[in-house]
Amino acid sequence: MKFRIFRSAEDQTGAGPAEAAETPRILPQIKMGKADVSEGRLEDAEPVTGPAVVDSPPVGPIKIAARDVGVFYGDKQALFDVSLDIPDKTVTALIGPSGCGKSTFLRTMNRMNDTIAGCRVTGRIAMDDEDINDRSIDPVLLRARVGMVFQRPNPFPKSIYENVAYGPKIHGLVSAKSEMDGVVESALKRAGLWDEVADRLQSSAMGLSGGQQQRLVIARAIAVNPEVILMDEPCSALDPIATARIEELIDELRERFCIVIVTHSMAQAARVSQRTAFFHMGRLVETGDTEDIFQNPRERRTLDYITGRFG
Amino acid sequence: MIWIYLLVIFALGAGAYVGGRELARRRAVGARPHSRPGQHGAYALIWVAVPALVVVILSGVFSGPLERQLIAVDTPDSVTALEPFRRQAFFADAQRVGHGQPALQIWERPLAEQLPIEARRMVSIERTLQWGSGLAALLAAILGGLFVSTQIRPKTRARNRVEGWIWGALFVCSVVAILTTVGIIASLAFDSFRFFEKVPVFDFLFGTKWSPQIAIRADQVGSSGAFGAVPLFAGTFLIMIIAMCVAAPIGLMSAIYLSEYAGRNTRSVIKPVLEILAGVPTVVYGFFAALTVGPALRVFFNEIGLFLMGGPLDGLGQYLALVQNQMALTAGAVMGIMLIPFVSSLSDDILNAVPQSLRDGSFAMGATKSETVKRVLLPAALPGIAGALLLAVSRAIGETMIVTMAAGLAANLTLNPLDTVTTVTVQIVTLLTGDQEFNSAKTLSAFGLGLTLFLVTLLLNIIAQRIVQTYREQYD
Repeated sequence: MKFRIFRSAEDQTGAGPAEAAETPRILPQIKMGKADVSEGRLEDAEPVTGPAVVDSPPVGPIKIAARDVGVFYGDKQALFDVSLDIPDKTVTALIGPSGCGKSTFLRTMNRMNDTIAGCRVTGRIAMDDEDINDRSIDPVLLRARVGMVFQRPNPFPKSIYENVAYGPKIHGLVSAKSEMDGVVESALKRAGLWDEVADRLQSSAMGLSGGQQQRLVIARAIAVNPEVILMDEPCSALDPIATARIEELIDELRERFCIVIVTHSMAQAARVSQRTAFFHMGRLVETGDTEDIFQNPRERRTLDYITGRFG
Repeated sequence: MIWIYLLVIFALGAGAYVGGRELARRRAVGARPHSRPGQHGAYALIWVAVPALVVVILSGVFSGPLERQLIAVDTPDSVTALEPFRRQAFFADAQRVGHGQPALQIWERPLAEQLPIEARRMVSIERTLQWGSGLAALLAAILGGLFVSTQIRPKTRARNRVEGWIWGALFVCSVVAILTTVGIIASLAFDSFRFFEKVPVFDFLFGTKWSPQIAIRADQVGSSGAFGAVPLFAGTFLIMIIAMCVAAPIGLMSAIYLSEYAGRNTRSVIKPVLEILAGVPTVVYGFFAALTVGPALRVFFNEIGLFLMGGPLDGLGQYLALVQNQMALTAGAVMGIMLIPFVSSLSDDILNAVPQSLRDGSFAMGATKSETVKRVLLPAALPGIAGALLLAVSRAIGETMIVTMAAGLAANLTLNPLDTVTTVTVQIVTLLTGDQEFNSAKTLSAFGLGLTLFLVTLLLNIIAQRIVQTYREQYD
């Protein structure tokens, strides 16, 4: 029965003009697991997940454990009782219609909500078994461990070099200029931007294209060696080619970091993530392996959303 | 009389509006009119009121000269024979007599008999001109009305034509201020030119001695006049620098506090209070400087001087013990306090214009507020803040009241903030207040100073505007 529903749903998705080109491409990729993606890129990134052909995607130990998290903006509650485990060395996608609380949840994980007046977080969010909302945790230090990439590229109006060096500088991670050069270079290389900007590190970051700016911002985030990278719709302001590059990059970064990505694109969630959590009306509706969520959703609302009936 | 005319024109305009609307309504029957009746009414109003207004204004401008010409035509010989200024006085008296007021002077025999005759003649000429202009205005209104009554047809685009008139009226309003400024510059330039005929430009701009007193009698001593403006500009810049030393850091930091640190409640109190402070009249700051700050600083330095006298720093002590109220420091410090709200309000706006995404980006990197301000916000806002500071500088240079009350009059060429200095604006005020003759170098030098000051502040404002503009383009 479920299978039949899913098939018909797939037909429906395939009929939609925007998704027509993408949908057939995603599903086989998911079915074959991550292996063929890794194989296609063996030269530049070695697969860390052992045997190539696996049915379910590799999932690391639990990095962040959220329990009964609620968020209030003044008197208005935006998030209700969210309990979610986020594994390490994995891409977790948060999907859901606009205003469903997925970005709000993302922002609780590095306490960016602290910067909003009148915002209150309840419940417990543990990172490596340590409550990040505890008094003893300094949000400033927490954010050095949990990097964030925003919806619109927001490089500082400084040089490319200065942008990447910003984090290491304020956290005093390096002492010598040569060391800083190394940090900047490796961060830019890991973000896949080095070849494009190596000869103009001192020119303004504002002169880069949108996609380059977004990769620069990712480089800036990974320059401080975070453990977790939060991405809030990182591709929504980019064209398809730049989006594809960022997605490749996310897949590479997964080997070193715990990545949580908020996205509006179902196809993107299917392409880049191993775990998916579906939010609706401020509640976590369903969570599981991406493949399961997309092929065998347990909840009616999830099915409706991923097949484009609302949202 | 002019008020009656305006009232009549107003009434005619109102009538034209109602009439035009009715006419349009009647003529529109059976057709699909382009414009609505009210727009035809407005169009009729314009065509009735504007020609009449133009005639009234023109007659107001030209009736004075015309009247003088007409009177000159048959002036009796005894009056023509008078010297020009006596003749003017005679006609002024004739006008007074004509209007039933007593003459100001006592006139001799032949003139005393002419006076009532001339008075009657003047009144009749005046009346003729007034009635003439009134009739001309009425005629213009009627002609305009007749013209517009032929224009009110269903096809006439009254809507667009009225729009064109509104465009014109708004354009004229916006040009008035610019033309006035041009006029001010022209008059300044003209009088400065007369001054520079008497004193060479080079001597004025680079001379180091300022002493504008000129001998009235040949045997007076020590008042040959020296017009070197350097001490005045040095004094102006000294006070400006002291003021900026006070205003720039405090204003900037209060802006940072307001835009980044203050909670909503604090901000809603402090921001309006600062803006109210910006509206305090400068003369009030002048009182404060002259009566409170000046004496307080003098007592402070005098005490230090008395303490040091007789010791190893005896010379310094002697000097400090004689410091006066009117020092550059007093005027500069109070002017700086005056500029704080100005600087902080402008800088606050500029900091708020920095996109929130940059703050988020910096916080997300684990930066604290002050690191974000220092490394991201200030560099991003720097051009704008520099522009704001330059605007404050040009205000400080042009500020008059505080320095008039708190700085001195002695044109010392010094960088010592405890000395008395004088500024360009103070000198302009002293040169032009009271009874002055308007063709001596002393008085004319005020215009030279004014022009130079105008050019300096204009330059500063242009630079500041440019900087602020380039800054805005970066984010919009």
